[in-house]
Amino acid sequence: MIMQSDPIIQINNIHKHFGSVHALRGIDLDVQRGEVIVVIGPSGSGKSTLLRCINRLEEFDQGSIVVDGIPLDSAENINAVRTEVGMVFQQFNLFPHLSVLDNVTLAQRIIRKRDKKEAHEVAMELLNKVGIPDKAECYPLQLSGGQQQRVAIARALAMNPKIMLFDEPTSALDPEMIQEVLDVMLTLAKEGMTMVVVSHEMGFARAAADRAILMDDGLIVEQAAPKVLFSQPKEERTKAFLSKVLS
Amino acid sequence: MQNNPELEKESDRENGFHKRIKDVDQWWLLVVIVVLLIILLITTKPDPYNRILKFVGDGIWVTLYTTVISFALVLVLGLFGGLGRTSNNKLIRGIASVYVEVVRGVPLLVQLIIWYFAFPAIVKDLGQAWNIQAFMTYKANPIVMAILGMTVCYAAYMSEVYRAGIESIPKGQMEAARSLGMNYFQAMGYVILPQAFRVILPPLGNEFVTLLKDSSLVSVVAVADLTRRGREFMAANFIPIQTWMMVALLYLVMTLIAARAVKWLEKHSRYER
Ligand SMILES: Nc1ncnc2c1ncn2[C@@H]1O[C@H](COP(=O)(O)OP(=O)(O)OP(=O)(O)O)[C@@H](O)[C@H]1O
Ligand SMILES: [Mg+2]
Repeated sequence: MIMQSDPIIQINNIHKHFGSVHALRGIDLDVQRGEVIVVIGPSGSGKSTLLRCINRLEEFDQGSIVVDGIPLDSAENINAVRTEVGMVFQQFNLFPHLSVLDNVTLAQRIIRKRDKKEAHEVAMELLNKVGIPDKAECYPLQLSGGQQQRVAIARALAMNPKIMLFDEPTSALDPEMIQEVLDVMLTLAKEGMTMVVVSHEMGFARAAADRAILMDDGLIVEQAAPKVLFSQPKEERTKAFLSKVLS
Repeated sequence: MQNNPELEKESDRENGFHKRIKDVDQWWLLVVIVVLLIILLITTKPDPYNRILKFVGDGIWVTLYTTVISFALVLVLGLFGGLGRTSNNKLIRGIASVYVEVVRGVPLLVQLIIWYFAFPAIVKDLGQAWNIQAFMTYKANPIVMAILGMTVCYAAYMSEVYRAGIESIPKGQMEAARSLGMNYFQAMGYVILPQAFRVILPPLGNEFVTLLKDSSLVSVVAVADLTRRGREFMAANFIPIQTWMMVALLYLVMTLIAARAVKWLEKHSRYER
C-alpha cells in the first residue's frame, strides 16, 4: 500500500448548496497517489456531488480542491484537470451516435491530438483490456449494460488519466453483469491507478480499496481500511448504515 | 435494447426490400400523379396551360432559390438562437428569448413589409440626420429584403426547434463529453448536435416545406416569384381558374418532393446503420 504523503487530490473544507439543500457541509479529504478509496453512504448523503466537484461538473460554493498540483479555479485549469481525471457514470453515458471504436477515439483525437492510427491503436488495446475487442464496430445500444460500462471505462482510460472516478458504476446493471465490470476495476486498482469509487459493492471494497469512507448528510462520518470499517465501525451512523446494506 | 443484434439485422434485411417498396412508392406515386397531371394538361391543352407554365417558369426558379438560400441562413442563425436559448448565461439567454418572442409575435407578411418599406425609410432618415450620402440614396433590393425577412422570421421558429432538440439529449451526454476534457463547443459539435440533429430532422423538414409555401408572401414586396408571376399572368389574361390551378399544382409538386427528400434523409441518418 502506498501511504507516503503525496496527495494527488487535496480537498479542503468544501461546501455545496443546491438552493436550500446543503449537500456538502465541509469535506476534507486527501487522496494519495495510487490510492483506491471507496465511498459509501445513504442516498442523498452527497457522494455523487463530492465526486462531481472533483472534476468540476458541479461548482462548489466554498473551499478548495487541488488536483495534481492544479487548483480548480480558472476555465483553463478546469479543462486541464478534466483531461487528468476520468469519470465513469452510473448510466454509462456512451455516445449513441458513434460506434464503440469512435466513442473511445473521439476525445483522444480532439483533445490529445492523436492521429487516427495512434488513437485507433490505443482504443483497440483498451478494448482488449476490458475484454470486448470484437465489439469495436458495434453501436452502444447493441451492447449489454455490462459491455457498455466496460466501453465507458475504456473511453475514460484512453485519455491516460491519472485519476479515475466511478459513480455507482454497477448500480444500473443486471446482477449477472456486475462482476465483469468489477473485474476490470480490480485490474485497474492492482495496476496502481488512483481511484475514487462510490459503490456499495462490499466485496470489491474489501479486495481493492485502501480506504473506505462513510458519508452521511454532507459530511465524512468515518473512514478506515475497509475491513476495519465494515467489521468494527465506531460511529453509530456507520453501524446503522452497514446493518442496512449488509442485511 | 438487449435483444440479439445479429438476429435483428437478419430480419431487417429480409423485410428491408419489401418495406422499401411499400414505404417509398406509395408516396412517390402521389408525386408522379401530380407531375403526370401537369404534363397531361400541358400536352392536351397547351393553350392556356403551356402558356401559363412558360410565363410563370422564371417565378418557379425565384421561389426555389429565395427559399433555399433563406433556409440555409435559417439553419445557421437558428442554431445560434437555439444555443442562446439553452445557454447558462442569463444575458445571452435573455437576448435570444426576446428575439424569439418578438419575431414570433409579428406576422411574416408584416415583417416583410417592414424590411422592404420601413427599413429603407429608416436608413434614409439616418442618412439625413448624419449626412451620409450612401444612406440617403439607399434603395432596397427586393430579393435581398425578402431573403432577409424570411430568414429573420424563420430563424426564430428554428431556434425553438433546435432548443427542443438540444434539450431532448440527456444531460449525461454533455457531462460525459465535458469530463473527457472537451470544451462547450467541442461537446456541442461532436456529441450533442449530431444527436439533436436526428431528433429535429422531421420538424426541420416541416419548417422547410412551410417556408416554401410562405415564400409566396414575398410577392407583395416586388419579388417576381411564382405567386406574383401567376397574378401578372391573370391580370393580362383573365383566366383565374386555369392560372391558379396551374400555380397550385406547381407548389404541390415542390412541397411533395421536399417532404419525400426529408423522409429519405431521416431514414439514412439513423444510428446503427
Ligand atoms: N442538481 C441538483 N439540484 C438540486 N439538488 C440536488 C442536485 N444534485 C443533488 N442534489 C441534492 O443534493 C443532495 C446530495 O445528492 P447526491 O446526488 O450527491 O447524493 P448521493 O449520495 O449521490 O445519493 P445517491 O446514493 O442517491 O446517488 C441530495 O439531497 C440531492 O437531492
Ligand atoms: Mg449518487
